[in-house]
Amino acid sequence: MRYLLRRLSHALFLLAGVSILAFLFAALAPGTYFDEMRLNPQIAPETVAALRAQYGFDKPLPVRYASWLSSVIHGEMGFSFAYNSPVAPLLLVRARNTLLLTITATLLAWGIALPLGVWSADRLGRLPDRLLSWATAGLLVIPDLALALGLLVLAVRSGWFPTGGMASVDFETLSPFNKLRDMALHMILPVTALVLSSLPLLVRHVRAALADVLKAPFLLAAVGHGIPKRALLYHYALPAAANPLISLFGFSIGVLLSGSLLIEVVMSWPGLGPLLLEAVLARDLYVVVGGILGSTLFLVGGNLLADLLLYWADPRIRTESGAR
Amino acid sequence: MWFRVSSMKVEASAGSQNMPPLLKVENLVKCYARRNLAGVREELLALNGVSFTVFPGTTLAVVGESGSGKSTLASCLACLESPTSGKIWFEGKDIVKVEERVRRQLRPQIQLIFQDPASSLNPRWSVLEILLEPLILRRKFTREEMRQCASSLLERVGISPDIVERPPTELSGGQRQRLAIARALALEPKLLILDEALSALDCSVQAQIANLLRELQSSLGMTYLFVTHDLAMAVYLADEIAVMSGGRIVELGSAEQILNQPQHETTRQLLRAWPRMARALPAPEQ
Amino acid sequence: MREWRTFAKWLVVLGVLHGMVVCAGFFAPYDPVEQDRQSPYLPPMRLHLLDAHGHLHVRPFVYSLRLREGSFDQYEEETTEPHPVKFFLNGAGYRLLGFLPLRMHFFGGESTRIYLLGTDAYGRDQLSRLLFGGQVSLFAGLLGAGVTLFIGLSIGAVAGYYGGWRDSLLMRVAELFLALPWLYLLFALRAFLPLAVSPLEAFFLITAVFGAVGWARPARLVRGVVLSAKERDFVRAARGFGASTGYLLRRHILPETSSVLLTQAAILIPQYVLAEMTLSFLGLGVPEPVPSWGNLLSGLQQYSVLVSYWWMYLPAVIMVPFFLGYLGLASSLPEPEEASKIQRSSLGSLT
Repeated sequence: MRYLLRRLSHALFLLAGVSILAFLFAALAPGTYFDEMRLNPQIAPETVAALRAQYGFDKPLPVRYASWLSSVIHGEMGFSFAYNSPVAPLLLVRARNTLLLTITATLLAWGIALPLGVWSADRLGRLPDRLLSWATAGLLVIPDLALALGLLVLAVRSGWFPTGGMASVDFETLSPFNKLRDMALHMILPVTALVLSSLPLLVRHVRAALADVLKAPFLLAAVGHGIPKRALLYHYALPAAANPLISLFGFSIGVLLSGSLLIEVVMSWPGLGPLLLEAVLARDLYVVVGGILGSTLFLVGGNLLADLLLYWADPRIRTESGAR
Repeated sequence: MWFRVSSMKVEASAGSQNMPPLLKVENLVKCYARRNLAGVREELLALNGVSFTVFPGTTLAVVGESGSGKSTLASCLACLESPTSGKIWFEGKDIVKVEERVRRQLRPQIQLIFQDPASSLNPRWSVLEILLEPLILRRKFTREEMRQCASSLLERVGISPDIVERPPTELSGGQRQRLAIARALALEPKLLILDEALSALDCSVQAQIANLLRELQSSLGMTYLFVTHDLAMAVYLADEIAVMSGGRIVELGSAEQILNQPQHETTRQLLRAWPRMARALPAPEQ
Repeated sequence: MREWRTFAKWLVVLGVLHGMVVCAGFFAPYDPVEQDRQSPYLPPMRLHLLDAHGHLHVRPFVYSLRLREGSFDQYEEETTEPHPVKFFLNGAGYRLLGFLPLRMHFFGGESTRIYLLGTDAYGRDQLSRLLFGGQVSLFAGLLGAGVTLFIGLSIGAVAGYYGGWRDSLLMRVAELFLALPWLYLLFALRAFLPLAVSPLEAFFLITAVFGAVGWARPARLVRGVVLSAKERDFVRAARGFGASTGYLLRRHILPETSSVLLTQAAILIPQYVLAEMTLSFLGLGVPEPVPSWGNLLSGLQQYSVLVSYWWMYLPAVIMVPFFLGYLGLASSLPEPEEASKIQRSSLGSLT
């Protein structure tokens, strides 16, 4: 229990620290949204000044941070000047879209990487393993950008897939089944791009973790006992390799919000990525800070999840912290 | 075999008792605090009130099992760690309380030889650089001076000088330990602490190095503090033996006393581990 | 040792690739900003040895391109006149390595301009832009990695050697930086600095941002090495000889960090090159007209460009051989035992 509480408080400390950092970065930036407005001859200077005062831009930094923090705790994340709407609902909608993509891609990627990595580690050093290593190396060195653009070209040339966006123009008029089908079609390309970009590293890590475990004496003993291959790999070796894999999994969870930025932008998927980009270009302070905080939440949460899973999965950690 | 009883030691240090003690340790305590994997704070009492005296020109052996605190003692005496409390008097000066600057002046006089000959020599350096490091720290040498100095140092410990350009990984364990001794002697220390210095060597090599140490002691008048878990070695090399257990000295006496009239159970256990001596002892109390 | 031979092999490969980019002025036939408004979006010209009449030429040659009848962007070859490729000829001036003024180019055309990789919307030669763009992108990656490693080494060494409150404080701060989503932070930092800057300023700005964002992981790794190196017997022995802290760090401890630093460099450089490409692609990096692999692709945000003019895709894959080289380099480095355990600290290359 003490261990869990420590990890939790650690995570909260991280979040607090990050919120301060993010707020500082954004607030200290030269130029705000209002500079653009000031240049606009159609808007009276008094209006600009009034807006500034309304959003508290004239107050000192710690005061602004404190008021921002208190509103965040109440669920209010500020106001987006560019979109003219409160930040929180804006972020939520976009985050939901992003998660739709990334959760699918993560499940797929792990679903492929685990068996592939295990299969490869089983044949360590032999031809199939070496071929797979070459294939993953090849995929690894192709930039996400190239993958995304390439898939777009494929979409255009073949006409099988929609070329971006999340829904067709006539989405609202479709039947529920067709709506699902339409969304799935739109998702195929971005998900493929995400899976292809994360697969090689996942496979490598799974393979490496398994390879380490397969060298262990207790595995040899199990072979000597005549345990069949499949059980050996999945019931003996894989659990023993759990530690690094759980950490890896925690990391995968962590990047659910932030890992798909480029692909969303290239494929015009209305997720958190394009929102952040626009906000950054328009210097929309609260959106940027909200976006950074949201993705940090996932990163820290992913790490915490990994810690908790490790605690549950590895008896050594439990006894160390519980033994008194 | 080479272990014979301490009758050999009688001639060596006859006059030393009249001189003031070289080293005097008073109530040394060392406590380690650390966090384990789950972040729980643990305290480890490595030394729990150790006191003894060493006279110049003699050898004191500190014998004990692993975990008895003897390596911690060696580190503290060599000023590589600071004790939690207690005093260490070297030539009448309290070396625990001095500032780092003064301590750096004193360091050449107390040198430590480590257990693992491989790790005490930087594998990326050549023998020449390793050997002369303590001297180069103090003044500049020309290439020629370095070679000459190295030759004489190596001769003293019985290594041929033509290995100076090689990395230490090409030397055998015994040669490396000789090199470590040569390096320590370069500063002409008054006290040499040997922390399990022979334990990692093969049996026959142990004998050679032990004999080398004895020769050096008689020719240079060195004082040794010899930390070991091997009672046989202690009896061969030492005038006095201190037996350590659980951070304290449980028995202290001359080599002959320890051998023939062991008082403490730990001492008897150590003697039992020495097969030849075990036969002479009464059976362990059940 | 056998490992060093593979390492050297990869180093040579990378050296050749980088050499071609460094000598971009020589290998590129034209100036990268020189426009040819008459020839927008020309497809790559093909090299021929056999002409339309079936004669074999000694020198490779190209045909000039003319617009196909009735089309406004389809080109075909004018097979009437072969234009031979000349080697080692004088052309536009450039400065090799930034200071040596030269005019000699590896190849070019006398009777016509030769566009081996086509042109872009302003008629600029893509091959030249690729080579010069590589200078910017690769150098950004190298410099950024240098800054990151320098900061990481300093902080990691202080934390590892002194321990105590310094270590706790620095590592807490490092954790904070590691908890931030890397790419997001990069974007935010870059864009919250002035948007309209000169190419040189932009370049140094993004390099500094790389350093500010990425130091945490190398710092943690260096700290680990320094912590264990500090307790090695030969370091303790040197302390016993009266060595000062500076001496110990300089002569014994920091050399132990070399393998960690090398591995990190081989991982960070491609990461940063990619980051520069991403930033420039989205308009937050090096601005026009200076070419970089990223901003060469920014036109492709309209994918119609990509579909019609396939050669504009090349900057997206030009770095693949470079990354293969860095990957090979990183794999050929002997791994210290601590790093071979997959810890959370080593997963950073995923974002």
